[in-house]
Amino acid sequence: MFSLLAGFIKYLFSKTEVHVLILGLDHAGKTTLLEQSKGIFRKVQGIPPEKITPTVGLNVGKMDIEGCFVILWDLGGQVRMRSIWDKYYADAHGVVFVLDAADVGRFEEAKLAFASILDHEDLGDVPVLLFANKQDLPGALSEEDVAESFEIDRVLRHRVIQVHSCSALTCEGLESGVRWLVQEAKGLARKLD
Amino acid sequence: MGLLFSRIIQSFSAMFGNKECRILILGLDNAGKTTILNRLQNDSDEVMQTVPTIGFNVETLQYKNIKFQVWDLGGQTSIRPYWRCYYPNTDAIIFVVDSADVERLAIAKQELCAMLEEEELRESILLVFANKQDQKGALNASQISEALGLSNLRSRQWSIQETSATKGKGLFEGFDWLSTAILGGNTSA
Repeated sequence: MFSLLAGFIKYLFSKTEVHVLILGLDHAGKTTLLEQSKGIFRKVQGIPPEKITPTVGLNVGKMDIEGCFVILWDLGGQVRMRSIWDKYYADAHGVVFVLDAADVGRFEEAKLAFASILDHEDLGDVPVLLFANKQDLPGALSEEDVAESFEIDRVLRHRVIQVHSCSALTCEGLESGVRWLVQEAKGLARKLD
Repeated sequence: MGLLFSRIIQSFSAMFGNKECRILILGLDNAGKTTILNRLQNDSDEVMQTVPTIGFNVETLQYKNIKFQVWDLGGQTSIRPYWRCYYPNTDAIIFVVDSADVERLAIAKQELCAMLEEEELRESILLVFANKQDQKGALNASQISEALGLSNLRSRQWSIQETSATKGKGLFEGFDWLSTAILGGNTSA
């Protein structure tokens, strides 16, 4: 009887563990986004943006968002590091794709990378957040333009995808976007023991 | 009480930019660990001859406001079991691989995996040096990360760097990463 009750209480207070992957081309702002998220959700200062160097490997952020225990995986974006992205797909409950919305010259490359992520069978139907980052720069494309250019309506299929404009540098639009994704991803995650 | 006191001292020195970090340099024998340590210590083109380390070498380096206490442990099979004596309170592990020694990569992977399962190293970050890039047939960083199974890591921050210890290439880039990654949350320094 007691163990039943204890189990119930544990169930009530246990947190769901949500795994979120942060992907995108190199220099899109993935690590800045991760470090700024630490500032927003954990109230600890992350690495200041000017000190961030290209990631060759994995950065990990753990924080409480929307009542969930969220683990953010920020993977390096250089071409040679993209081969390890898919090793993480099977464990992910949500994907943040970071796009440098001001670097129109690399849109085609970004689209290819984006498509290869969505098409991968290991990823399942997890929700995807497309961050149109670097809105602080002049010439950055808006949410609508990015959605159109990436043909979001066409690739949608069974998946929830949302385009969100943001600036990781100034934190504008960052919090609402991440909260949305965690809300959507929650259902796919399991309760922690 | 003593613990509290040392905490206070620690936070004071962190405030004045003198954080001290404990780093272990590990890897199979003949990977280049001691040469790396020597290079970090004095950056001249003259490569000092090293002999296989039986036991350990330790040096303290000051780099970018951080004091690194670097332990280079011998890599022979017979002394690998003693690595664990040095695990407590380690901030970062530098795992050195001879990128040209393809045959022993599987053993390197085994040693690395076993080490990362240690409870005492749960919070340490991992930097892999894909060393000996100057040698013919050396694998590049992504091949090495594949061979070591780095993409299986889920909750540990890691990075890989192509290095040539004898030529002094890549070492300080690795330490740049270490210093930002370690300071991470408390960037007051």
